[in-house]
This record gives sequence, structure tokens and C-alpha cells, in this order.
Amino acid sequence: MFEVIPPRPAPAGVAGIGGWIRRNLFSSPANTLLTVVTGLFVGYVVIAVVAWALFDASWGQVWANQRLFAVYRYPADLLWRPMAVLAAMMALIGVMGGAGRSNEILRGLFWSLVGFVAVVTVIAILFWPSARVLWTGVLAASVVGYALGAARPALVRALPWAWAAWLFLGFFLLYGVTPGSGLLRIVPARDWGGFMLTLILFTGIVPSFPLGVALALGRRSKLPAIKYTCIAFIEIVRGAPLIMWLFVASLLLPLFLNTDPNNLPAILRAYVAITLFSAAYMAENVRGGLQSVPRGQTEAARALGLGGWLTTSLIVLPQALRAVIPAIVGQAIGLFKDTSLVFIVGLADFFRVTEIVANQPASLRVTGGVKLELYLFVALIYFFFAYRMSIASRQLEKQLGVGTR
Amino acid sequence: MALADRDPVLRIPFWRNVKTIGILAQIVFVAVIALGVFVLVTNTLNALGRANLPADFSWLGSRAGIPIAETPIPYTPNDPYWRALLIGFLNTLKIAGIGVILASLIGIAVGVMRLASNWLVRSIATVYIELLRNIPLAVQIVFWYTAVLLPIPPRINNPIEIPGGLYLSNVGLAFPFLYPTYRFGAWVPWLVLAVVVAVVGVVWRRRLAQRSERPVRVWPLPLVALAAIAAGGYYVASLDRTLPDGLAVDFTIDRGRGVVYRDLDGNGVRGPRDPLMPFASTIVRIAEAELTASTQNITESGQLVRSTFRFPMILERNVEAAVVDFGDPEEAAERGFAIHFTRFPSRGVVYVDRDGDGEFTPGEESDAETGIGYGGVRLVMTVVGYERHIVADRDGQVRTPAFSPSGTVRSAEVAPALNPFSVFGGAAAAESRDDIVPLEADVELLPAGPLVLSRVHVPVSSYEGGMRLTVNYLALLLALVVYTSAFIGEIVRGGIQAVAKGQREAALALGLSPSQTFSLVVFPQALRIVLPPVISQYLNLTKNSSLAPLAGYGELFVIATIVQNQTGASVPVALLLIASYLLISFVFAFVLNIVNDRLALVER
Repeated sequence: MFEVIPPRPAPAGVAGIGGWIRRNLFSSPANTLLTVVTGLFVGYVVIAVVAWALFDASWGQVWANQRLFAVYRYPADLLWRPMAVLAAMMALIGVMGGAGRSNEILRGLFWSLVGFVAVVTVIAILFWPSARVLWTGVLAASVVGYALGAARPALVRALPWAWAAWLFLGFFLLYGVTPGSGLLRIVPARDWGGFMLTLILFTGIVPSFPLGVALALGRRSKLPAIKYTCIAFIEIVRGAPLIMWLFVASLLLPLFLNTDPNNLPAILRAYVAITLFSAAYMAENVRGGLQSVPRGQTEAARALGLGGWLTTSLIVLPQALRAVIPAIVGQAIGLFKDTSLVFIVGLADFFRVTEIVANQPASLRVTGGVKLELYLFVALIYFFFAYRMSIASRQLEKQLGVGTR
Repeated sequence: MALADRDPVLRIPFWRNVKTIGILAQIVFVAVIALGVFVLVTNTLNALGRANLPADFSWLGSRAGIPIAETPIPYTPNDPYWRALLIGFLNTLKIAGIGVILASLIGIAVGVMRLASNWLVRSIATVYIELLRNIPLAVQIVFWYTAVLLPIPPRINNPIEIPGGLYLSNVGLAFPFLYPTYRFGAWVPWLVLAVVVAVVGVVWRRRLAQRSERPVRVWPLPLVALAAIAAGGYYVASLDRTLPDGLAVDFTIDRGRGVVYRDLDGNGVRGPRDPLMPFASTIVRIAEAELTASTQNITESGQLVRSTFRFPMILERNVEAAVVDFGDPEEAAERGFAIHFTRFPSRGVVYVDRDGDGEFTPGEESDAETGIGYGGVRLVMTVVGYERHIVADRDGQVRTPAFSPSGTVRSAEVAPALNPFSVFGGAAAAESRDDIVPLEADVELLPAGPLVLSRVHVPVSSYEGGMRLTVNYLALLLALVVYTSAFIGEIVRGGIQAVAKGQREAALALGLSPSQTFSLVVFPQALRIVLPPVISQYLNLTKNSSLAPLAGYGELFVIATIVQNQTGASVPVALLLIASYLLISFVFAFVLNIVNDRLALVER
């Protein structure tokens, strides 16, 4: 009686690539015009940029100064030290990535880092002879770490200790142990710089985390003295820009400690400023998370007989922090970009090195200068990391279901 | 409570009482903080004493000696420190105010583009946002400043002319601007009246709209009234055509400049006590003037340009006639010289028509190698009926291009030393100061209305008139606007997407056009979501303007670092900086609270 009509393909012009093109580019005459005009414009810009990058730009200074960009004036013969720290870091991340293979976000981040290291290794092999082996080593260490983690996921349990050891040994390896001229000789902080310094300053987000949590809890405290001190700290620090705090810290820290400014390396002053600044913003992020935890959770915990500290640390904070992970990643992106402000205290971070390279005699000899090339190169590197983190943040948001009700 | 009080077993011992613990904890906390502050303050005072650095604010009154390129209010390096810092603060407001407006406009456009139905447009907006959000602002500022703005525009005396009287060069952007004159005060009461009437009108129309059953348009009538009263007041205020008592101008023609001042003592000469009159409107008329120039070999962007001549920028519209000819036409004809204008009549090349086609072809420049182009090739520009309307500058200065009328050519002995590129011939050498033909300059002060339009003109050394923005300002503004607009664009997109889909569909179903749907239904609702985060972006923009050292723009932070460097007053400068930024933050927080309250009221 009834005959099932077999499913017919969607009408041409709706489905498939053709349909997509019609819907998104040529749905109406006005839209078609818009597509053509913007298409021509985009095409022109892309062709002009590519042509410039391939034929007119002189990238020589970018390749020739890989060491300055990477570590600034860190002695060439001691390059193995920061590279060893980097290799250990990549290996540890590799173990995390390998062990937590089900965690796509972590794995993706790890492979992006490996990709970056691989590109740098290729560049080093081509243009930076003395670092060829070192970069290849870093690449190998990350892959080995991943394999290890994949083979023995139980290693993850040792990771907190491994990271602590990395932090401790890493600092001594970078700074050195003995004065004089040995393999482990001290490298004064003023010779640190480049992307290494950017990464070091970026780690300021780690100590800012406990500080920020403490400030956020303090702000919600019922004790007025603690509450208003925390509010004052958070609001005053957030009220002024980071560059001002860097400047103020570099002026005032030696005064506060009544010591000669030369005794306090600029890195230390910048690090303190970055950490405290970051802590104030962290506190506001964490506060948002604390507010998102329903009151019932606290009340239930109290009803079960948990005390104030236990309620906070076992019930409220875990839920609050889980909710603000994307916000914290967002803040990390901001901090990563803001490390470029340390030029104001005379530090030669990745951004500042660009200016130094741009003013080298070899750069000035190039007709038209190489500033455009150098700054595009630097912008690209910053973009890679910041954009990669923002993608991870979005993935996290989706995974945690934040923002969906 | 009652039970616990009575029963000794249930009563909580005082050291476990939450209240007691709280108070004790606070006492300990305050003690620790106080101890910390005490140690830091003692240390600081010791350190300051040891280094002999100022710890008070007494230095604020001494002479700053800081040159600042852009000053919203009059300022000289002789002014005290507090005024330099005030300039910095105003400059911060100046960049933040304009930046906020531009960033909002671009941000909204990008946010809407991000949701366009056209894939290409959508993608452009996405790339724009992602690219700009993820590159540090510092890199962007340096990019705009050193890579885009500094190299592209040519030197100051050859600026890019933008239609509408704007000039762009690597010195900055200059554009016509309306300035208030001495008669502005007569207009102020009218403006106040107009605003009062408009406010009353809006309140009245609002009431009417609430009572009436038919739709009442609230805004048009009050706005028309505002415009009408303001315009009428302007007309009335400019009816009085008398100049204020003692207004006079002191102008020297061969230097092409002078001042407008108020002759208070009435002796007809500008004395030290006679104040300068800013923004007075003047007309300079010169019946006839002769300007001389020699051909020069000049170096322009690394390349030698041969036999180029330059006169002060005399634009055709300012003169009845301008004729350029050789100082000695017969001699020039004998050698086959001709003039090719690259910009009539102020600049060009002297060439030798070697191929005889009567036109200049590159390679025909008269040059030193062939021995032509020197020895008496002097050009004379005769300007007839020069007339220019000039608005005195902020300090009362009136400037026309510097005239060098015939006869004032420096003698041959001096010339090479003054200008190594120009070689004056015998004809110029023959002239001496005795031959100076005095030229009549007629300078007239015009009675001005409350506002006066100051146009830009381009003398040799820098722009005159109009409003000038330095490249430093432009670079910082561009970077801040573009960077912030990416964030605003993303907020706008989120806000629009957050408006329930049914709202749009309902509006379309009711027969509203897509643009009406957007502007009347979707956007107002999105605004409520968008406004609070956008205001915090405005605050970010303001705080980010402290990256000005990268562009060399003299805002608060830059001036403060210079002041600290000069005075060594670290602590006072730090306190001033923190206080200023907190003030700005509090103003924004205040505005945000008002906005939040208003939005909460609208919600039902």
C-alpha cells in the first residue's frame, strides 16, 4: 500500500562543495559583488605580502642571530646548559603527553611544541652550526619522553617530584655553581635574555597561582582586616598597568630592602613585579570560580562535619578552580605577551633582542633596514604560542562545559 | 546560644570560639602586615637618606626643562615639573579618548563582520581578530612606528597631501581645526541655554511618550532645538564686528612671521606685558614679491637629484599669479636651459633640452659634471597678489612662508658657507643689501566669530596652523585602536550571538527588514551584554597607553620616567603614577557601575 520512496540526493546547489560555495559566497548579487571585491583585495594583499617575503625581504639577519634570539649573551660554549634544561622540560612534557594520551588537549599541546622544536632544529641545522647537535638532542629528548610516558603511564605519579627537581636543578644549571671559568661557571643574570628569558619570566604565573588563590580566599573572608587588605592589594595592583609596576618595582625594591640596586638583578625585580601583578589578576579569576560554586556545596560540607579549611580545600576550591581553568589559560596568554614589557627595566627579552639585532651594523648595512623582517619574525613566534594556547583554552572550555548551561 | 551558655559541657572554650579565633587572626595578620610595612618604610627612608634622594614633593615646583612635542595646553620647558606631569596626564586622556571611540567603531564593525553570511568576510574578520589578539601590543606599536609610519611618508616639506587640507609626513598629520577665539565667551551662554532646552525637551518628550498611546519620537525635536539655539547664538555672537581694544599685529615681511598681541599699555609697540592673542584671525596681503632660489644638487633618500629648485610652498590658490623665470633669461637661453616643474610653481628641475623635443626627459638635468647648471642659474619667482588668511597659533604666532624677496639674497661670500649645496652665480653676488626693494605687506586683523577654522599650511621647517598630531601619537593610537578593536570585536560577536535566536526570528516574522531587525531588536539587546566587558576594554586601552615609550609619545608614564630620571624622586614619582592610574581606574569603575545599574533597570 505504501511504497517507501528511496532517499533522493539533495538538490544540486544545496549540498556538497558547490552548495557550500553558493550559500557562503554567492547567495545574492550583493553578496557576489562583496565576494569578488573582498576576494580581489585579499588576493592582492596576500600576493603582495608573499612576493615581498620571497623576493624583497632580507631574512639573513634573522637566521644569523639565532643565538641572540634564543639566549641573548649567554656564553656560546655553555649553550648546552639552557638546552639541557629545555630538553628536560620537553621530556617531562613528553611523559605527560605520552601517559595521558587520552587527553587530546595535552597531547595536542605537546605535539605543537615538538613541531616548533623540529622547525627550530631544521633552522639550526641550516644556519646555526654550533647548536645543531643540541637542538637535535632536544627533539630526541621530547620524543623519548613521549615514548616513555606511553610505555609506562605509571611514571605520571613521579612527575610532581620530577618537575620540582627540574626547577631546582634547572636554576642551578642556568645560573651555574662555581665562579671562574669551569663548565659550571656562574653566568650573571645580565647575560640572560632572548626567548629563554621570555620563558623564565612566563613561569612567574606558577608562584602567582598560590598567591592568587590566597588573595581570592582572603577577599571572601569574613574577617574585615584580611578582607580589606586583600581587596586593597588586588584593586591597587590591577588599577595600574604592568609596565608601570615593572618600573616602580625596579625603583623601589632596592629601596625597600635598603640595598644597592646592583645587588638586585633586573630579572629578579621584574620577576617579583610580574608575579605580584599576575597574582592580583589570578585572584580575580579564582574569585569568579569561587562565586560559581553553589552555596549548597559549602552547606552540605559543613553539615557533614567538615571544618572551614577542609570545606575550602576539599569541596569549594577543586570545583572553583576547575571552572576557571580557561580563564587562567587566558591570563597565561596575556602574561606571555606582557613579558615583552620588561624592556623598561633594561632586560633583553625576545622582544628587546629584536631592537638590538635591528641596530647591529650588519642590519644597518641592508638597504631599507631589516626592522620589518625582524618584527614580523618576532610577531610570528609570539603569535604561534599565544594562538596555540588560545586554541587549548577553547578546547578546555568545551571539555569542561563552561559557558554552556 | 541559650543552651550553650547554661550548659558548661556544651559551652565552647574561648580559644575555640570562631569569633575569638577571628579576632586573634586579624590581630596577628595586622601585626604582621604592620611589621612588614614598618620594616619596608624604615629601609626606604634609610636608603633615601643614604643616597640623598628627595622623599617629598617640593621638587614639583622647580623648572622641568623637559621638551614635550605634543601639549594640549600651553607648555614650555621652563614650566615646573607639575605642569609637565599634567601635560603627560592630559596626553594620556587625549590618546585614550580618541582611541576608545575609534576602537569601538572598528570593533563593532569587525564583530558584525565575524557573523556575516559571506564566508570571505567572516574569515577576514576571524584572521584580523586572532592575529591581533595574539601578538604582543609592544610588538605592534614598534611595528606601526618604525616599520610603517617612520619610513613611508616623505620629508616634511614634501608631505602627502590628503584631500580636505590634510597633510601627512614622517613628522605627523596636520589637519584643519576649529579653535575658539576671543569671542567664544559670548557664545557660551547660548550653548548652555541650548543644552538646558534640549534636556528639558527630552524629559518632556519622555513623559509624553509614557502617557501617549501613539509612538512619540523622543530625540528629534530636542536635538533640532539644540542645533537651532546653538546656531542662532553663534550668529548673534558673531554680529559684533568690533575687535577687542588694542588688538594689534606685529609682522615682519621678510621673515614671514609675526605675532598678534593686545596692546594694553597703548604705546603701539609690543611690550613685555602685552599678552599674545591666540586664535585671532588675520589676513596677510602682499601686492608683489620676488623670491629667489638657485638650482641645487640635493640628496634625497640616498640618491642625488640634480639641479632641483625649491621655493617656499606657495599654493596657486593663494596668489593671483606666480611666474618663475631665470634671473638672467638671456644667459639661460644661450645655454639652452629650460624649467620643468614637478610641482608648479614651487619646485622643479632645471634641464638642458639635449634631444630638442621641448620636453624634459630623465637624464637631461643640467648637472655639475657637464659643467652646466652653475654659474648664474638663479631662478626668480614673482608672486603677484599674495593673500592668505591665517589664524594665529596657540601662542599668538602668525606665519606665512618665509619670503626672501629680491635683494635680500645673501652675498656670494656668505652663501656657500650657509648652504653648501647652493652655488650662487655672479648675478646674485652683484646684488648687495643696498638693493633691497622694500615690499609692502598689508596685515589685517579680522573680527572673528566664536570659532575660527585654522587651515594647515606647509612652510619649510614644519607645519603651521590647523591641528598637528605627531607620528608618535599616530603610531601609538593606531596600535592601541587596532589591538583593542580585536578584543571588542570578539565581545560584540559574543553579545550578538547571545541574543536569543527567537528574537531575531520574531522580528523578521513581524516584517522588519534584516537591517531593522539588527538595529532595533538584536543590537540593543546585545548592547546590554556587550557594554560591561567593553568598558573594561576601554580601561585596558587607557592603561595600555603606558606603552608609549616604544613610540616616544609624551604621555603620563613617559613624562614620569623622565621626571624620575632628572630628580631621582623615586618614591614620590611612583606614588604619583599609582595615584593617577588608580584615579583613571576608579572613574572607569564608576562608569561601569552606572552602566550596570542602568542595564539592571532595563531588565524585566
